[in-house]
Amino acid sequence: MNLTRYAARRLAAGVPQIAGVACLVFVMVEALPGDAAVTLAGDQPDPARIERIRAELGLNRPFAERFAAWAAGLTRGDLGVSLVSGRPVAGIVLDALAPTAVLAGLTVLLLVPLSILLGVAAALREGSRLDRALTAASTALYAVPEFALAIVLVTVFGVTLAWLPPTGLGGLTASALVLPVTVLLVRPVCSTGRLVRSAMIDVLASPYVRHARRLGLGWFAHALPNALAPAVQHLTRTVDWLLGGVIVVEAVFVVPGLGGTLAEAVGHRDLPVLQGLALLFAATTVLVNLLADVAAFRLAPRA
Amino acid sequence: MIEVDRLTVSVPGRILVDDVSFTLPAAQTLALVGASGSGKTTTALALLGEHPAGARVTGRITVAGHRVTPGRPPAPGTVGFIPQHPSAVLNPVLRIGTVLRQIAARHGTSVPDALRRARLPEERSFLRRFPHQLSGGQQQRLVLAHTLLAGPSVIVADEPTTGQDAITRAEVAAELVSPGVAVVLLSHDLDLVRELAGQVVVLKDGRVAESGPAVLDTPRGAYAKALVGARPHVAATRMEPHPILTVADLGTEVLRGVSLGVARGERLAVVGRSGSGKTTLARCVAGLRAWTSGSVRLDGRPLPPSGRRSRADLARVQYVPQDARASFDPRRAVVEQVARTAVRLRGSTPPAAREDAFATMASLGLSRELARRLPGRLSGGESQRAALARALLARPDVLICDEITSGLDPITEAEVLDLLTELDVTLILISHDLPMAARIADRIAVVHEGSLIEHGPADQVLRTPSHPVTRALVGPAEEPRPF
Repeated sequence: MNLTRYAARRLAAGVPQIAGVACLVFVMVEALPGDAAVTLAGDQPDPARIERIRAELGLNRPFAERFAAWAAGLTRGDLGVSLVSGRPVAGIVLDALAPTAVLAGLTVLLLVPLSILLGVAAALREGSRLDRALTAASTALYAVPEFALAIVLVTVFGVTLAWLPPTGLGGLTASALVLPVTVLLVRPVCSTGRLVRSAMIDVLASPYVRHARRLGLGWFAHALPNALAPAVQHLTRTVDWLLGGVIVVEAVFVVPGLGGTLAEAVGHRDLPVLQGLALLFAATTVLVNLLADVAAFRLAPRA
Repeated sequence: MIEVDRLTVSVPGRILVDDVSFTLPAAQTLALVGASGSGKTTTALALLGEHPAGARVTGRITVAGHRVTPGRPPAPGTVGFIPQHPSAVLNPVLRIGTVLRQIAARHGTSVPDALRRARLPEERSFLRRFPHQLSGGQQQRLVLAHTLLAGPSVIVADEPTTGQDAITRAEVAAELVSPGVAVVLLSHDLDLVRELAGQVVVLKDGRVAESGPAVLDTPRGAYAKALVGARPHVAATRMEPHPILTVADLGTEVLRGVSLGVARGERLAVVGRSGSGKTTLARCVAGLRAWTSGSVRLDGRPLPPSGRRSRADLARVQYVPQDARASFDPRRAVVEQVARTAVRLRGSTPPAAREDAFATMASLGLSRELARRLPGRLSGGESQRAALARALLARPDVLICDEITSGLDPITEAEVLDLLTELDVTLILISHDLPMAARIADRIAVVHEGSLIEHGPADQVLRTPSHPVTRALVGPAEEPRPF
């Protein structure tokens, strides 16, 4: 199959998918009890005041009319303004995207070589002391949830030893990134490394690697692409998870990223911000999956 | 060049090679012949210092003055190995040109030269293909090209011509015995062995049964006599005049409007050169791939062009693939996979299907012990029979066999052909070997470049071929075979 045509078709199919997500989020927020007016009314939740705010924000209009107005704005590239702060949604989303993208990007950049390194090292010495040690360590670490690891690391390195800033409040400097990126890396490195290891063991025993060795070719270049195929789909889910903003990690390290913004917008029932985020998440999911499928196609051309 | 002295290879419970010795001077050809499972491949791999996992090896092997042990295999490239299943040694992820250039760079040789010698196209578009986009015969010649590129002093070739038609076979055979290279040939193709080998070693159950330069012409022992004399006994067909399966104007990327019918109980052979579209045609008919134009009808009822079929239709038309071993899951016992057909397609209970599988495999000469093994521990011929058993468990009306005799020794080949003629099915035999097909087929259809070029009763096509391609396929020096 022609890969370019396939990609174009997939992208075209992504548009209705994203639209579908936007509709779904709109309906789901509508189904939640309370709305932005309640939040804005703050400490004096008297019904008349809430009603007044509702009228000001146009929240008393029927559901379909509000959705139509939002969709019309979208076609002009206008995502609307936050019901709570009044700032444009595009600005809010972009501001939150920057720190999340830095964290996610760095994590993936380190994740790929690290998991290949660990997976291949274990596979080359299958059953050895190194392999068993790596297996034990990765199983144990994989079982530690992010928030627990984050708190331990902050306590040890951020507070007790005070080697690294405990939060990202002072801006995402290199030293402030060390702890959150470490926390984000640990579990994916363990799981991806395990996948690379088992695939590599199979591939190293395969007739085509033996054939390459007989011919004096570098076996590593012959084995690696085949061993990566199973890891690619797993990596996709990891990237998607990272780009969604890992709420717990952002909360512990006080990083003003997408996760925190999302949690806040849900709490405030700030529908335009939620919609903006939903569009972004849907689009990244579609894109990341497309890239993964293209990579998978290249890594397993028979399928 | 090669000295093998009292080689014995055993795995727990079984002796694979028992006290085998032979020598081969440089630039000469030695053939190892014998039934599947006689220890040919184990002996051949020992020349590369490779042994089955957990094997006990005694004896001494010297190649080009170098003592070969598992710890000290011959230098890369000096002993070229062409395995029986070429698809397994081709890296599925790398374009064929990439690998060829890597080998050429490593050994300082030229890719176009090797492609020419292996009778493969040199176009860029061909080199950009992946191995799975090649036909079985092309894959085999690609592995030959790999081996030639490494500039070997010894080539060990395990059935190097099984996927090749008569024309390519002769060309490939000529390239194998190129000047200065010693060749160890493992083959069931006794005509090829006669043509190439100066020395023949007949193996039976891991032992040397007979050896010498003229074993095939004047066999002394009973086993060698049986091997040379084996020919199938063809039972008469029970043919009915109504077509059970018809193909009309079938078109795909490879096929250009093929029309063909087969009557109930008939044996039809579809013959053509490597890459002519035979396998594509078979896969369309079996419901394993989609087609773009035309129709396939079973009992007059059209089957969907998407290739998606009901279980009943799938059961009625069964396919035995060319690369039988690759069609098995390497991690499950063969009998379980064979039995699965009956469970999936006929709704048998698993215990009943298992008994059925054991019985069918036994009727094809595969013991219970063998049936319980993993697919990797079956020889080429055994996996082919297991694949046949798997198809038969569906109780098909139409059985399509793709190169079913490729890689079988003459005795086993005759047995398999006998078995096929005894089955109460409509048989479609896909083969590059026209004389072999003519031995059991009622009718022969010749496919060339995706079109049907000749079609008629088997003896007519064999005796008076009208198309030049058919004439070439009949073979340049075909002696009349006893029917």
